[in-house]
Amino acid sequence: MSDTPVARSATQLNDELLSSLRPPSRRWYLLVLFLLAVVAWGLVAFTWQVTHGMYVTGKNRPVMWGFYITGFVFWVGLSHSGTMVSSILRLSRANWRRPILRAAEAMTVFCILVAGLFPLIHLGRNWTFFYMIPYPNQRGLWPNFRSALLWDMTAITAYIIGSSLFLYLGMLPDLAVARDRSGGWRRKLYGLLAMGWRGSAHEWAVYHRASTLMAALIIPVAVSVHSIVAWDFAVTVVPGWHSTIFPPYFVIGAILSGVAAVITLMIIIRRAFNLEAYLTPLHFDNMGKLLLVISLLWSYAYFVEVQTTWYAHEPIEWEVFSFMADTYTPQLLLMLAGNSVVPIAFMCFRRLRRSISVMLTVSLLVNVAMFIERFLIIVPSLSHKNMPFAWGSYSPSWVEISVNIAAVAGFALLFVLFAKLFPIVALTDVRELEVREAEVPLGRTRLPSIAGKE
Amino acid sequence: MEKMTSPYRWGMVIDLDRCTGCGACVVACQAENNVALCDKKEISEGRGMQWLRIERFWAGEYPDVRVRFLPVLCQHCHDAPCEPVCPVYASYHNPDGLNGQVYNRCVGTRYCGNNCPYAVRVFNFYPHTWPQPLDSQLSPDITVRSRGVMEKCTFCVQRIRRAKEEARGEERVIRDGEVQPACSQTCPSEALVFGNLADPRSRVSRLSRSPRRFQLLEHLGTHPSVYYLKGGGREHV
Amino acid sequence: MKRRTFLQLGGMTAAGAALAGCRSGNEKLIPYLIPADEGVTPGKAEYYASSCRFCPAGCGILVRVSDGRAKKVEGNPAHPVNRGKLCARGQAILQELYHPDRIAQPLKRSGSRGSGEFRKISWDEGIALLTEKLKALQQEKTTDRLALLTPPLSGTLADLTDRFMAAFGSPNHLSFELLAPDWLRRATRQAFGRASLPWYDLAETRYLLGFGADFVEHHLSPVQYGHAFGRMRQARDTVRGHFTYVGGRMSLTGASADRWLPARPGSEGTLALGLARLILADSLHDEQALAASGLQREKLLRRLAGYQLTRVAEQTGLPQQAIVEVAREFATTRPALAMAGEAVAFQSNGPEAVRAVLLLNLLAGNLNRPGGVYPAGGGGAGPENSFSGLLSLVAKMRADRIGVAMIQGNPVHAIPPATGFQEALARVPFIVSFATLLDDTALQADLILPDHAALESWGDVIPQGSAREAVVGLIQPVVTPLGDTRQIPDSLLATAHRLGGGMAASLPFQSYREMVKGAMRRRIAPARGTDFETAWTELLRQGGLFGKIGSTGEGFRRATAAAWPEPGEPRFAGDEKEYPLHLQVFPSTAFYDGRGAPLPWLQQLPDPMSTVVWDSWVEINPRTAAELGISHGDLVEVTSPAGSLRAPAVIYPGIRPDMVAIPLGQGQQGGGRYARGRGANPLSLLAMIDEGTEPRPAWHATRVRLTRVSEKGNLVTAGHPQGSYRSDLVGI
Repeated sequence: MSDTPVARSATQLNDELLSSLRPPSRRWYLLVLFLLAVVAWGLVAFTWQVTHGMYVTGKNRPVMWGFYITGFVFWVGLSHSGTMVSSILRLSRANWRRPILRAAEAMTVFCILVAGLFPLIHLGRNWTFFYMIPYPNQRGLWPNFRSALLWDMTAITAYIIGSSLFLYLGMLPDLAVARDRSGGWRRKLYGLLAMGWRGSAHEWAVYHRASTLMAALIIPVAVSVHSIVAWDFAVTVVPGWHSTIFPPYFVIGAILSGVAAVITLMIIIRRAFNLEAYLTPLHFDNMGKLLLVISLLWSYAYFVEVQTTWYAHEPIEWEVFSFMADTYTPQLLLMLAGNSVVPIAFMCFRRLRRSISVMLTVSLLVNVAMFIERFLIIVPSLSHKNMPFAWGSYSPSWVEISVNIAAVAGFALLFVLFAKLFPIVALTDVRELEVREAEVPLGRTRLPSIAGKE
Repeated sequence: MEKMTSPYRWGMVIDLDRCTGCGACVVACQAENNVALCDKKEISEGRGMQWLRIERFWAGEYPDVRVRFLPVLCQHCHDAPCEPVCPVYASYHNPDGLNGQVYNRCVGTRYCGNNCPYAVRVFNFYPHTWPQPLDSQLSPDITVRSRGVMEKCTFCVQRIRRAKEEARGEERVIRDGEVQPACSQTCPSEALVFGNLADPRSRVSRLSRSPRRFQLLEHLGTHPSVYYLKGGGREHV
Repeated sequence: MKRRTFLQLGGMTAAGAALAGCRSGNEKLIPYLIPADEGVTPGKAEYYASSCRFCPAGCGILVRVSDGRAKKVEGNPAHPVNRGKLCARGQAILQELYHPDRIAQPLKRSGSRGSGEFRKISWDEGIALLTEKLKALQQEKTTDRLALLTPPLSGTLADLTDRFMAAFGSPNHLSFELLAPDWLRRATRQAFGRASLPWYDLAETRYLLGFGADFVEHHLSPVQYGHAFGRMRQARDTVRGHFTYVGGRMSLTGASADRWLPARPGSEGTLALGLARLILADSLHDEQALAASGLQREKLLRRLAGYQLTRVAEQTGLPQQAIVEVAREFATTRPALAMAGEAVAFQSNGPEAVRAVLLLNLLAGNLNRPGGVYPAGGGGAGPENSFSGLLSLVAKMRADRIGVAMIQGNPVHAIPPATGFQEALARVPFIVSFATLLDDTALQADLILPDHAALESWGDVIPQGSAREAVVGLIQPVVTPLGDTRQIPDSLLATAHRLGGGMAASLPFQSYREMVKGAMRRRIAPARGTDFETAWTELLRQGGLFGKIGSTGEGFRRATAAAWPEPGEPRFAGDEKEYPLHLQVFPSTAFYDGRGAPLPWLQQLPDPMSTVVWDSWVEINPRTAAELGISHGDLVEVTSPAGSLRAPAVIYPGIRPDMVAIPLGQGQQGGGRYARGRGANPLSLLAMIDEGTEPRPAWHATRVRLTRVSEKGNLVTAGHPQGSYRSDLVGI
């Protein structure tokens, strides 16, 4: 497979990239049904919890947060995928981002939506969640903005809005193409969403300025979201949590998680929608390099955390770390392997970066390791707080596991539905590149296109 | 530094040299405050509901073994870690220096429970019931908490409130020793002493100036309202 | 619509609303203005004074009652014994009152004994049935076939039962309780000439030498001595009382000691005499006290020749250095005080050992002095050897010489089966129980005449071991009885009246309340004026009759008639090879002898030393456990010559490697939902020892062996097992 895009006609491009929008096959329906079933099972588990009580989970004193918050942090982390790939690559003008940025942006939105559910799920009195919303009430009560959970709420809401807008904005030209090529209810839907895009030069100019601006703006939002989630832990006095490295450490971990997830997703949609021509080994090569860099950063951050704990040897801090290392040894080792050893070792080699199967394995491993990492941050610290008589332990119950699995299924369901309804590859971006790099016949010569550089 | 808007700053001194570990305070607290009945299963899951616990530590090896008892209850910290983290102000500091918990405001995020370094906050994981007629014993002065809500020692705020009402009726302040939480009232060896730290002549103030005094986890800077007096020692005159 | 229609509709609606508003809500308001029930104001609480009878200490209590319901129990500040303080068990008596499994009316057995099948009957029927059985005995002229079993009684109830049994013509009233301090009364008489319970001035002493006297948990008067302990430590400006505890197991009391001497079981008496010898050898004793008792140092030293340091150190397993230090400390720190407790008394050489300990007080010159022992100060007249009474009753029952047994308490659970009690009781044709819950004894009964709960009862109580003051605590009901129950004395009165004749004549009281009131009238009549009713109300309000500190006689001396204590070698049931470990069975803080087990607050209270909840356990020294391959929480089997049981293991650093300990109280087959089928009863392991001349309750003289069964002990502790060793992290 060559690296440079093969010159195709506009129609051919449109056909191929919009092929995912064709009427669904039986296999698709089966997949959706399966995902719905898993999500329904999660709802059953959640309803069981709401009607019976939090005792159906594995939480206790002192470990009052468990799998739900692990899931929460994990999904917030995954939501950095879009930001990383789409905005940063967009701002750095890396052309190879084009086929993947839609999937990444969509992933961001769905990840953060799923993440936003967890704080509601983990409440002891879920039905009073609205106490946290600053609405005018006759008791004159205001939520407590000193609490990191309120910062969470604000940040996540901002991020949901921001990333949705970002996704939508990027989709406008594609929606217009889809509108122009479809009929019936689809035409109505795309027409409504396309907001009357005509493809005029003015519209394109505004589009480019807006996209660039959004790309720039979404980065601080994303960084702040995960820093704020990190502050949920860092601003407490819990040993093992009270660490200034948490915000950057969490952001790095999130990017690692997100990048790996994007890789996984790329591999899946590449196969599912026959997009081999558009998601080439070059893309995986570059994502692999990105993964390498982030994994090195993560390894550094983790090393710093452990080293400072070890060096200062503050009794309770060291106690927490040794407890974690003793009790959760296999998980710790798997985490180090998945986040550090394997990515660094494998992603150094061009041949491995270009191998789809290797990338799939590595990216999945990274995310498994990241989930473990969130767990190992949250649970051991809570198990071994300052008062040793009150130390405890935690293991998740079927309810918590079911809800977490349902979250994965829910995300997948959202994504599958999105991919069926909307172009999963940013076709106008891809075409833009084609147009820029293609040679245009002019009279009897072929000249490189004069479409301006970005 | 908060302004002194109240003449009271409730505090407690726990003399570890007097404490025998008998556990009367634990049962008294449970009886006074409608603390839930927990069976073996609940406690095995780490979901016991007692507001006050007696920690027992072993030190040394046979035959040079030493036991230390440490009654641990809400320290009513002046810089309470549990207060800033509650998203709905269910955990708040009242002008008397108490850390209060508003049960019907609590949404159950359990952030406060995590951030309490003393692990004194307990959460209602289970819906608790009392088989009749044990519920006849429940005190009408204090809420029976529903599931999903955090609770903890309040220094028997219902008793403080009652004493304040009486004192207000007689246009005076509460006298030293007039109000006692259930635990300090019942302690046979008078290891628990409660009173107004803002009054330098109260018993609790005087004891809190003892050279034996220390506070739990002082390095965290929570500034608890509970002072402990070190126990033990082989000197006898 | 048309205007007319609108006006019609509007008018109708308005009228309807007005009419609805016209109906007065008065019938809803009235109950709040006029209280329904004896002047009870909703929300306002009343306090009633009474006495706790959960243990013989008889502490005074105040019960907070709101809306006719008992809400909280506090100590009565005016009561001389507990001065406003109260122990964990006292706090829990509310749950005896409101226990969901209380027997609500008399029951007659309908199935086999032990099946728990009973038929509800009326009081009339119940009393009639009992009367019928007693009448039969009267007619057959075999009135001595009636037996009455109670715990040690005091006050009016003792009087009533005495009269009842005397009038009926039966000598078989056994007042027995596992933990009754008979042995102490006897030792006091033998040592100081008068059978009484001593009173220890713990608060003013500077050196407490406790030989297995667990006053925090149960010895004599826990709240009183707990309070005194606090004062001993920190109530005096420059003096902090020192506490040395002698005992193979570090009990809860021992945990507060400054020094723990883990003496071999049965060697405590030897140790006491060894200390005495060291004190005399260095002339550190109180000359005057010795002289006043007519003793001479040289003679004593000769007597104590066999107790030199090396022998004592070897027998006790304690380092010589420690023994010497303790002797010196005890003798030179004045006032010093030596106490002996159950852990010593229930060895095979217990009685002698206790006397040896009392002797140390003599040497320290602390008799009847502040900080010392007041031999007659603890009041509480009572038997000296109810254990032999138990054995003789057992013999009678076994020989089919008892036809009717009336039982208060739960002896089926709380008496070691090795005495043969349960087996013999089964032969009694008619058993009556007065239990409030279907406990192990009630399950064996043919007729249950349920007692009131303590908080529903009238009565008086002479506190055990009370502080040198003449105290008669009053018990009054604080709520109306919940069920159709009656106080035991009222059941006895009703039976007596029905029997008629001499019985009715000897107990001419309408009710027990009347009897109690009358007894009080006799007590105070000489002092007060004619208005007894006012005085009675005042006494009820106060909680009892609290006298002044009585004179207990000056200059106590050793009773010359007493034989010199010679605690010989201790003997144990079980061969050392086959049963290598000593068993100590101890009353736990929560359960006492088992009476606390039905109450959920007490089951939920973590045992202070092991932090176990809702279970029994076996305390094992860490080294012993390691040798036997036992880890914390493993299920182990404990076997003695008398039986075996299984319970989870607790690694317990504060116990000798050759000892194990199991708490009393669990292992009940009845006792309501919270006690039933929970844990194991270690009394089933205790064996009797043949001690020759007279039987002794040598409860701590059984040997056992231990085997690990599995890791499934299902042990639940409130404290983290590893965290419990990390006091360094908390800075204490």
